[in-house]
Amino acid sequence: MIDFLVTWLASTPTFATPILLACIGLIVCERAGVLNLGAEGMMAVGAMAAVAVTLTGGNPWTGILAGIGAGALLGLVFGLAVVVLRADQILAGLAAVAIGLGAAGLIGKPYVHTTVTGIARLDIPGLSDLPVVGPILFAQDPFVYIAVALALLGWFYLMRTRAGLRLRATGEDPGAADVAGVDVQLTQLAAVIVSGAACGLAGAYLSVVASQVWVEGMVAGRGWIAIGLVIFARWSPPRAILGALIFGGADALTPRLQAVGADVPAYLMMMLPYLLTIAVLAVPALLRRGGNAEPASLGLPFLRQDRR
Amino acid sequence: MFDRITLVRRQDVPWTARTATFLGGLGFGIALSCLLLVAAGVPTESLIDELVVQVFLSSDGLAQTVTAAAPLILVGLCSALATRVRFWNIGIEGQLWLGAIAAAAVGILDIGPEAIRVWLMMLAALAAGALWILPPLVLKSRFGVSETVLTLLLSNVGFLCVQHLLFGAWKDPNNGFPVSPQMGPAEQLARFGWGNVGMGTALALTIAVLAYVFIDRSRIGLQARAIGLNPTTARAAGLPVTATVALMVLLSGALAGLAGGVIVAGTEFRLTQYLGNNYTFSGITIGFLARTHPLGVIVAAFGVAGMFTAGSSLKVFYGLSDAVVVLIQGIVLMSLLSAQFFSTYRLSVARRGVA
Repeated sequence: MIDFLVTWLASTPTFATPILLACIGLIVCERAGVLNLGAEGMMAVGAMAAVAVTLTGGNPWTGILAGIGAGALLGLVFGLAVVVLRADQILAGLAAVAIGLGAAGLIGKPYVHTTVTGIARLDIPGLSDLPVVGPILFAQDPFVYIAVALALLGWFYLMRTRAGLRLRATGEDPGAADVAGVDVQLTQLAAVIVSGAACGLAGAYLSVVASQVWVEGMVAGRGWIAIGLVIFARWSPPRAILGALIFGGADALTPRLQAVGADVPAYLMMMLPYLLTIAVLAVPALLRRGGNAEPASLGLPFLRQDRR
Repeated sequence: MFDRITLVRRQDVPWTARTATFLGGLGFGIALSCLLLVAAGVPTESLIDELVVQVFLSSDGLAQTVTAAAPLILVGLCSALATRVRFWNIGIEGQLWLGAIAAAAVGILDIGPEAIRVWLMMLAALAAGALWILPPLVLKSRFGVSETVLTLLLSNVGFLCVQHLLFGAWKDPNNGFPVSPQMGPAEQLARFGWGNVGMGTALALTIAVLAYVFIDRSRIGLQARAIGLNPTTARAAGLPVTATVALMVLLSGALAGLAGGVIVAGTEFRLTQYLGNNYTFSGITIGFLARTHPLGVIVAAFGVAGMFTAGSSLKVFYGLSDAVVVLIQGIVLMSLLSAQFFSTYRLSVARRGVA
C-alpha cells in the first residue's frame, strides 16, 4: 500500500506539470483581458514541433525551444485576430484549436510513434535516495521545478511589479489603463503570445519529457482542463499549483492502478480529471462562495472610441 | 501602437460591405488552404478536380457529399439554436456521442418492435443528446458557471463512454477492431439507391425547414431573437428568458444527439470510436457561416460536407491525414472572423497634431 502511494505521488508531478505550465500562461493572458480558448491547439503544435525538431536535430532541449516557438507563433496568429482585428475571442479561440490540431496532425505525420530520448530526471546525491520523500520531491525532471518557479515568478510579476499592475489594469478596465498611458493592444498582444509560448512548452513537455513520443490527439483535452483550472485558481498562479496537483493526481491514478494489476474500468477512470474539473467549477458556484475574481473586461474587445 | 490611426465603429453596415468582407474572408481562407495543399504535395493542376469535380460534380462524389451533409446539417442547426440565445455549445461531439450510444443501444438490445425500431433509435438519440447538455444548462442558468468549458469537458467524458463500451460490453466478437456489432436491416435508415443517401438526408432537410419556421415564425423563436439581442432587456420586458433559453439549448443538444443517431443508422451501421470526430468544430463553423439561419445551415453544411469528401480522397491519393480538413476549417473560420473587422470598423487616420 505504502509502495503504491509513493509511486503514485512520485508520478503525479509529471502529469501535473503540463497543466500547470499552460495554466500559468492562460492566467497571464486572461489577466490582460483576453480569453484564450486556443490552448488545446497551441499545446498540440508545441508537442508536435518539439518531437519533430528533436528527431531531426537530435537534441531534446532544442526540441523544447521549438515547441515554445510553435505555441508562440499560433499565439501570435490568434493575438493578431482578436487584439488587432477584434475578432470574437471565443470563435477565434476555437479556430486556433482547429488550426493547431490540424497543423500538428498534418506536419507531424512522419514523426508519429517514433520514440525520442527525453530529458533525464534529476539525481541529487543523497536527497534523491531518501525513502518516500526522495522519489516524490527530489527525483523529478527539471521542468517540474521550473513550472513551480514560473508559477511563483508569475505571481511576483502580476502582483508585485509595475508592468504586472499595468497588465492587470488592462484586463480590468482597458479604458482607464489607456488613459494612464498603457499601450492596451501591445500589452494584450504580448500576453497572448506569452500564453501561446507557455502552452507550447506544456505540449513540448507532454511529448518530449513525459511520453517521449508523439501521437496525434495526445493532448487529449488537457488544454481545456487548464482553461477550467484558471477559474479554480481564481486567476492566481500559486493556486494553480494546487489545482494542477489535484488533476495530476487524478490523471496519474489510472496507469498506476493498471500497473499493479488492479481490475478497474480504465475508460471510466480516465473520466476522473474531466469530472473533477467540472466539479471544481460547479461546487463553488453551488455554494455561492468566493465572489468573482474574473478580470472585469475579460473577453471584450477594446476600442478607444467606445465610451462606457 | 497605431496611435495615429483611430478605429470607428460603423453605425450602419451596408449589406454590400457585409457581403464583400464575407466573400473576401472566405476567398482569402480558401486561397491560403489551396497554397497549403500544394505545399503538402497536391499538384496545382488537380486542385480543381479534387476540390470541385470529384466532390460536387461526379455522381459518386456528390452522393458521398450529400450523405455527409445530413449529420452536418443537424450539428449546424445545433450550434445555430444555442448561439441564438447566447449559449456557447462547444460540446457538440459529446451530445453526438451520447446520441450514437443511445441509438446503438436500441439496436443492440433489440428494444421495441422491428417496424418502428429505427425511429425508436432516432428518438433515443434525441433524448440522449438533450440529456447530455442538461448539466451545463442548469449550471449556467442557475449558478452562472461558464458553459464553454463545461460542454467541452463533457465531450471528452462522452468519448470515454464510447470507448468503455467498445473495449468492453459492446465489442463485436467477430471483428478485430473495437467496434460494436453491426445493426440489423430493421435498424438502418432506408436508402434511396444512390450511395448512402437516404432517410437521414431527408430527416435533416425536414428538420432544417421546421427549424426555420420555428425560429422565424413562432412566438418562441421571436422571444429567442430578443434574448439573443439583449438578455437583460428581454427579461425586463417580461419575456420568459430562462424557459426560452432552456428550450433552445435542449433542442440544440437533442439535434446533436440525432446527428449521432443518423450516423449510426444511416452510414456506419455500428458504433465506432471515430464516427464523431470533428463534428464540434464543423457545427460551429457551419452555424457561423450560416449566420445561425437554418436554411443557410443547409448550404454551409453542404460546403463543409464537400470538404469532408475532398479530405477522404486526398487521404487516399496523396497520403494526407484527416487533420488537413480540420486545418482548412480552422484557417477559413479564422480568416472570416478577421475579415469582419473591415465591415464592423472604419479606419480614420488622424492628422498630426490633432488628437
